[in-house]
Amino acid sequence: MKPVTFREITGNSKGYYMLLALLGLTVAAGLGSAWYMEHNGHWVTGMNNQIVWGMPHVFAVFLIVAASGALNVASMSSVFNKTPYKPLAPLSGLMAITLLAGGLMILVLDLGRPDRLIVAMTTYNFKSIFAWNMILYNGFFLIVGIYLWTMMQRNLNKYSKTAGFFAFLWRLALTTGTGSIFGFIVARQYYDAAIMAPMFIVMSFAFGLALFLIFLLATYQWTGRELGGYLVNRLQKLLGLFVASVLLFVVIFHLTNLYATQHHDVEDFILAGDNIYSGLFWVGYILLGTIFPLIICYAPAFRAAIGWTAAAAILVIAGGLSQMYIIIIGGQAFPMDLFPGKEVSSSFFDGVVVTYSPTAPEVMLGLGGVALAFAATLFAVKILRFLPLSLADAKVDPHHSAQGQ
Amino acid sequence: MTQLALVIDLNVCVGCHACVTSCKQWNTSGAAGPLMDDNPYGKDPTGTFFNRVQTYEVGEFPDTETVHLPKSCLHCEEPPCVPVCPTGASYKRAEDGIVLVDYDKCIGCKYCAWACPYGAREIDEKQKVMKKCTLCVDRIYDQSLPEADRKPACVLACPTSARLFGDVHDPESEVSRAIGENGGYPLMPEWGTQPANHYLPRRKTRIKFHEDELTRVDNPLKKDGRLPRTDPDAPFLEDSVSW
Repeated sequence: MKPVTFREITGNSKGYYMLLALLGLTVAAGLGSAWYMEHNGHWVTGMNNQIVWGMPHVFAVFLIVAASGALNVASMSSVFNKTPYKPLAPLSGLMAITLLAGGLMILVLDLGRPDRLIVAMTTYNFKSIFAWNMILYNGFFLIVGIYLWTMMQRNLNKYSKTAGFFAFLWRLALTTGTGSIFGFIVARQYYDAAIMAPMFIVMSFAFGLALFLIFLLATYQWTGRELGGYLVNRLQKLLGLFVASVLLFVVIFHLTNLYATQHHDVEDFILAGDNIYSGLFWVGYILLGTIFPLIICYAPAFRAAIGWTAAAAILVIAGGLSQMYIIIIGGQAFPMDLFPGKEVSSSFFDGVVVTYSPTAPEVMLGLGGVALAFAATLFAVKILRFLPLSLADAKVDPHHSAQGQ
Repeated sequence: MTQLALVIDLNVCVGCHACVTSCKQWNTSGAAGPLMDDNPYGKDPTGTFFNRVQTYEVGEFPDTETVHLPKSCLHCEEPPCVPVCPTGASYKRAEDGIVLVDYDKCIGCKYCAWACPYGAREIDEKQKVMKKCTLCVDRIYDQSLPEADRKPACVLACPTSARLFGDVHDPESEVSRAIGENGGYPLMPEWGTQPANHYLPRRKTRIKFHEDELTRVDNPLKKDGRLPRTDPDAPFLEDSVSW
């Protein structure tokens, strides 16, 4: 293995600026949407008293979960000593920060009172998992920032392993916290499950790696830098492993619910209902987000194919967003069981499935956050040396030279 | 410890919504600002209400009955909305057990709406903070009001006196007696939230009549036939009186 050289991307092509402008416009549209919703009030959204978290939260939670997952590639090299991933560690750390920033942008702007963020930062109720999450988010920025610094400044390199270890622990805590926001909810049928926390951790591995792959593959393709089959193949197999692990957790989650008679109604609603949630589950999550990517990742025909790997990553993201929609919106839409054991129907919401149709500003705010994450990453790789000049097999494959070169 | 609460008699609630409108009127006029109303007179109105009457049809035709369930914050003794609040804006007052929201500390994250198993939380879509029943805390301690008026607006408005207000921890109080004597129950006690508000059950009033109570054996109207004719030769009263 030869030493890896990191270089900024040139970033003065028309395509680079066009892409940056497109992302910038999307961010602006997201900010405009947030302003519109803030200015007019909550009723211009599709949300109501039953569905209080809508489309923006689907994107926000997805990005926050993916942020901690994006750090995974760095953790593989620092914590688990997988040297082929070492050249990718700086980008991994960078995307962990930018994806979290994108997610938090959505989350904060979707708060009823984003102007009171300072209250949220200064007044903590430590019994609230939500308050803990605020600490975990801020801490993540700090600790991953330090980790990046130790990786990128040569005389601090010796500390990067320790920093990487703490960043790894912190990211586990962060996703545990995010999953527990739903896991700790007792009042709604679909939640109140300890498995939510580990399930979110596994989901973060898949979503984070998928977003990481899309940026990596696109950048190397468009900048003409070399990306060898060895690394693509490894990342492809890794993505497949994560997708399969998420499936395992989803299966356990639903089987546990199906075992308990009291949860049959909600399972019926999510898995076999005449509604969007069942469609998203079977088509969005199972077919597009799981089965197709698994085929792409493991079928020999697609081995190390850059285009197919990108397709698998896009499918994993589509499946992940479907999954988030089911968890966040589907769980709220299912009626609260105010009179257990009784069938109720009333003139006011109780006992009825609440309808939610996301409005354009909500979707725009969500896309704005995604665009912010990518725009920030795109800008950072131009001004700092995050990306190796070459990821050719000779650079990253530890066995390459031994194979007779 | 005092625990103020409402006791609502479902047996006499007729679903007139007087409690809803009086609640809205009092609380929208208060210092905390108006309660949002969007399109109040048009189709599909939405708005923030602290108290709503939900009407259920129980049973299957023809054996049905209509039950009106007025529902507001139940002021739980173990409120699940309080620990989840990230800023501590949701709190339970130690002195009287009322669960309140500090509108100035609420960041509108709506996480409490997820946590309340009773669906009592309402976001004010204009002020974008979470709101809920305050048990008219700005009224019940107001010394400028006559003592009889120091009750929640809904209690004063109820035309059938279906709503009672008082301290459920005081065994001598009107509400405690009502709960004890009439089988008052909290909503979903299995959550362990110990709602302070209680409901008095619907009661069937049945009276047992015996057949003989319904028919009068000596009813003169039951005697069929012509009225007896008087004997024209029979002496009149005048005949026997000599004046």
